[in-house]
Amino acid sequence: MDIRLNNVSAGYGRGSTYVPVLRDIDLTIPEGSRIAILGANGSGKTTLLRTMTGMLPYEGQVFLGSNELKNMKRREIASCLAMMMQVSETYFSYTVRETVLLGRYVRIKPGRAASQEDRSKVEECLRITGLTDQADHPIGALSGGQLQRVFLARTLAQETPVILLDEPTNHLDLKVQSDMMEYLDNWSRELGHTLIGVYHDVNLALAMADTLVVLKDGQIIACGSYDEIRAEGALDAAYDMDIASYMKKQYERWK
Amino acid sequence: MLSHKHGYSIRLIIGCMISLAVLLCAYGIGSASITMGDAYRVLMHKLFGVGIPERINPSQVSILWSIRLPRVLMAFFVGGALSVSGAVMQSVLQNPLASSYTLGVSSGASLGAALALTLFGQIPFWGSLMLPVSGFVFGLLTVLTVIAVSSRLDHNVKSTTIVLFGMVFSLFVNALLILVESLNHEYLQRILMWQMGSFSGRRWFHVQILAPVSLIGTLVLLGFHRELDILSFGDEQSMAIGVSTGSVKRILLILASLLTGTAVCFSGTIGFVDLIVPHAIRRVYGASHKTVLPLSFLYGGSFMALADTIARTIISPREIAIGAVTALVGAPFFLWLFFRKRG
Repeated sequence: MDIRLNNVSAGYGRGSTYVPVLRDIDLTIPEGSRIAILGANGSGKTTLLRTMTGMLPYEGQVFLGSNELKNMKRREIASCLAMMMQVSETYFSYTVRETVLLGRYVRIKPGRAASQEDRSKVEECLRITGLTDQADHPIGALSGGQLQRVFLARTLAQETPVILLDEPTNHLDLKVQSDMMEYLDNWSRELGHTLIGVYHDVNLALAMADTLVVLKDGQIIACGSYDEIRAEGALDAAYDMDIASYMKKQYERWK
Repeated sequence: MLSHKHGYSIRLIIGCMISLAVLLCAYGIGSASITMGDAYRVLMHKLFGVGIPERINPSQVSILWSIRLPRVLMAFFVGGALSVSGAVMQSVLQNPLASSYTLGVSSGASLGAALALTLFGQIPFWGSLMLPVSGFVFGLLTVLTVIAVSSRLDHNVKSTTIVLFGMVFSLFVNALLILVESLNHEYLQRILMWQMGSFSGRRWFHVQILAPVSLIGTLVLLGFHRELDILSFGDEQSMAIGVSTGSVKRILLILASLLTGTAVCFSGTIGFVDLIVPHAIRRVYGASHKTVLPLSFLYGGSFMALADTIARTIISPREIAIGAVTALVGAPFFLWLFFRKRG
């Protein structure tokens, strides 16, 4: 399923307190692409993800396949797109398994119990994220990293052709980071599914994406492969620093 | 999986059995000079036509059947309705301190009751009829105003918007109540008595209204148990999982307010039950609303029936306001909950 944004603008607030964030975004994401959205703090990365999932009102057009997002019900959107958000606290301590099962929401008919298929998918997602042993623990007792994995498992349980990740490696230790990212990498390659991520870590972005979308002040300043972006110097412009020399300096220590 | 299902049914069955036991206890204990044994004999007589000994006179039968039993049942259904509504509000507003009262049900209902008392209080029949009707209408109007204005302010009805506007609007309605009170000093005592809450004088007629409303309301809300689970993770996550947060929230808030409004208009504004019962249930049985809602109903009802038994017997023949009993138990529990989190 392709995703197309035509001349999209979005922001927060309304009337006199409206703050525009995204301006005139044109972007086409073909099915099966692996996209990284990069940019400095406040450049509109998360806002772009929110707009693609229809969580924010926008001007312009967003198409999921042939459907305009504004004409789609939440259930329909959620069966195409799953979004893993930055972890927020919850006061109510569901168990890990209960939380992951919520990802099956649109697949369970109202008033029905979860099917065997739903339950085995949940177990599979728990296994992938290494949470099988914690399945019956209350989520209130988990660490930030474990909670992040629970939300990743819930996102996978939605079984959508497109996954959006908002800084997925927050709170994760290095080993879990690399395992999770490797899994998602294989997931998108093998199934030909679309993976769209906002990453703070530029190296991670390069590893996870074929196409980089670079945002600055709410506008796309570059879009293309790493080589193209680098030739344009868009990353340096986006972060306002010499990224290559910074990375080389970091790398020196590991030689 | 099978054991999981069994666990759920067993919890519900145990809840029903405990509730039944509490109801029988509450019915058996009372200030009138009737022994527990005789009380149950009267119950058997009324339900199954079993004969009763001659020492029980008709006025005792009438006290038990027409006064005490409906009162006990009223307490049960009010407690159940308030607790379920509290559980729903806490989840929908993602706030462990929220209740229908946060949205102004109690201040609205109090204003309605105060107006009914001052305008119709002197007229015997209309006075007693208008009191619950006006309390219900004003309570619900307050909530609907809060929901309508919050929806206008922000389409997805963010929880913070509702809570904030609910607080502001209930303070405003409270001020109107104080105005009515200060202009009508002669009714002050009756208004205060109503606010403190009581089940005294509740008859079968009241049970016939409240029992179906609270049972059906709880069952309908139970149909939303997954949405309730999801909504407690916040608006954005709910949308990402596929819940149309705006409309689902509005439906749930109105259903919960209907429950509270119906309960409050017959009993006065009784606090703490809606706050503490869902928290206690979550602590023991976990947070899943499939469990929390029915058990909140059963144990919330039982708690209220017990509290009312204390209220009417402990300094008999006088009564304590039921609101005082629930708060006396509720406040320490609440502190305990608060400090437990810190620890």
